[in-house]
Amino acid sequence: MTTTPPPPSPAATDAPPPPTGSVVVSNISKWFGDVVAVSDVSFVVEPGVTALLGPNGAGKSTTLRMIAGLEPPSQGTVRVLGENPRSDRAVRGRIGLVPQQEQLFSEQRAIDFVTLAATLNGVDDPGEAARRALDIVEMDSDDTRPVGSYSKGMKQRVKVAQAIAHSPDLLLMDEPLTGLDPRQRLAMIELIRRLGEEETAVIVSSHVLDEVERLGSRVLVIAQGRLAAQGDFHDIRELMDDRPHRIRVRSSDARLLGSALLAHVGISGLTVSGDHELVVNTDDVDRFRASIAGAAMQNEVSLFEVQPLDDDLESVFKYLVGR
Amino acid sequence: MMRGFLGMMGRMVRSVSTKGRVLAMLAVGAVGIVIGIFLDRADEITAEGRVDFLSNFGLTVFVPVVVVVFATATIGNLIEEKTLVYFWMRPVGRWQIALAGFLSSMLVLLPLVLVPMGILAAIVGDSNDLTGLLLASAVGVFAYGSIFTFLGLLTPRALVWGLAYVLVWEGFVAGLSRTAGWLAIRTHTTSVLARVSESLELIDRPTEQTTVFLITGAVVAAAFLLTTLRLTRMTVD
Repeated sequence: MTTTPPPPSPAATDAPPPPTGSVVVSNISKWFGDVVAVSDVSFVVEPGVTALLGPNGAGKSTTLRMIAGLEPPSQGTVRVLGENPRSDRAVRGRIGLVPQQEQLFSEQRAIDFVTLAATLNGVDDPGEAARRALDIVEMDSDDTRPVGSYSKGMKQRVKVAQAIAHSPDLLLMDEPLTGLDPRQRLAMIELIRRLGEEETAVIVSSHVLDEVERLGSRVLVIAQGRLAAQGDFHDIRELMDDRPHRIRVRSSDARLLGSALLAHVGISGLTVSGDHELVVNTDDVDRFRASIAGAAMQNEVSLFEVQPLDDDLESVFKYLVGR
Repeated sequence: MMRGFLGMMGRMVRSVSTKGRVLAMLAVGAVGIVIGIFLDRADEITAEGRVDFLSNFGLTVFVPVVVVVFATATIGNLIEEKTLVYFWMRPVGRWQIALAGFLSSMLVLLPLVLVPMGILAAIVGDSNDLTGLLLASAVGVFAYGSIFTFLGLLTPRALVWGLAYVLVWEGFVAGLSRTAGWLAIRTHTTSVLARVSESLELIDRPTEQTTVFLITGAVVAAAFLLTTLRLTRMTVD
């Protein structure tokens, strides 16, 4: 007996295929009472490093927590490796989480803490996996001190070790560079990059632009609970640099320098306050930077200070959200 | 997976049995024992008076208070310390976390409750009183222990609510009507003591032994199911 498959319905042929990726976030929102923490956010994360960038309170941690399954979205869906991370037990074994909070089982040794994590994840040789993970984060697996006595940076590295001991397919790291000294920070960034190169999908949340820049990753910019921008870090950086800038200039003669600068292309506004200070609005900050010294020299004005007023991350995010 | 399960239990037991908590509860037990010693030396104390003391101090005060202090902290501590996430994020069933919590509570509470109660009954009562008090205390540990382990998961103020339940409901409301009394664990623990020690005057119409065990089983099962359900649906920090 043969059967002929029915012709595909128009709906079936027209509908776009569902997005695939290590993490597929579709229109998620999260509200706590009247407060909207995350609003209609959608994105797909593939293997490699993805940074969740945004100011404090932007909704990064809430988004990360929803991806981990710790928090259900009020609306929308999250799929991790095709499954619901909140209800699917097996998929939890493929996720590694570095939570933001510092607390660990304080009287336990690092090796015991990481071994327990590996055991609960069903690793064949949890002791060996724990030693390897601690070695990766440059922690001594023979250290007999309890983790409660560790510095913040050491605790952070133990948290990372427990998250990677079972070689997860998805690693979620909530502000993992917090509390690390510059050398540890560099080592952690290297580790994150390496994990990304090994085809692990790594999502790192951060509110520090420079940290994200060094990760060299894809970026999801979250601001005021919304996805403000996404793409390659350099595209985002360009977008940020292209926005209007406000720059304060202190010089020996603000009025004279102001008049000279008004002739400069790209100056959209100028305010003189006092004899020595003026604030310039410009759309082309690079051109402004290149020409201000020449303008000052031509007019025999001494430059004391050139200070960007809105280069903090907060104003960058505000700009992205308001676009 | 058994190793992981025992590891979870180990963490819970360690987290709940802090030195301060254990010493405080042993001190309460010691106070009861000292009172028991004086009571035993008093000439005018009757057999009924002795059992009455075992019931009032042991089953009304000591057992529920010790259990509420420890059981609410078994999983509650992990939530308060924000370390539950290290169990919750693993590929283990929620029922396994609940079971680890229940067994940890029992593991800590059974010796902490039964040893002082055994000493107290041995000083104050006879062998029937000893058996009755140990059995009744064990019933109390299982019933209160499962309810308060769940309560620890439900609210950060579990200790306050638990003590309020013990003092207000069990200590006051349960005495107002037979229906309310039937809903109090104390009624059933006292029934066990009354029947085993043959001191039926302790309580009006004591519950049958079989019924007590069925009720205890039902309470433990319901609390376990609710704990599992809560672990499945809760938001974890």
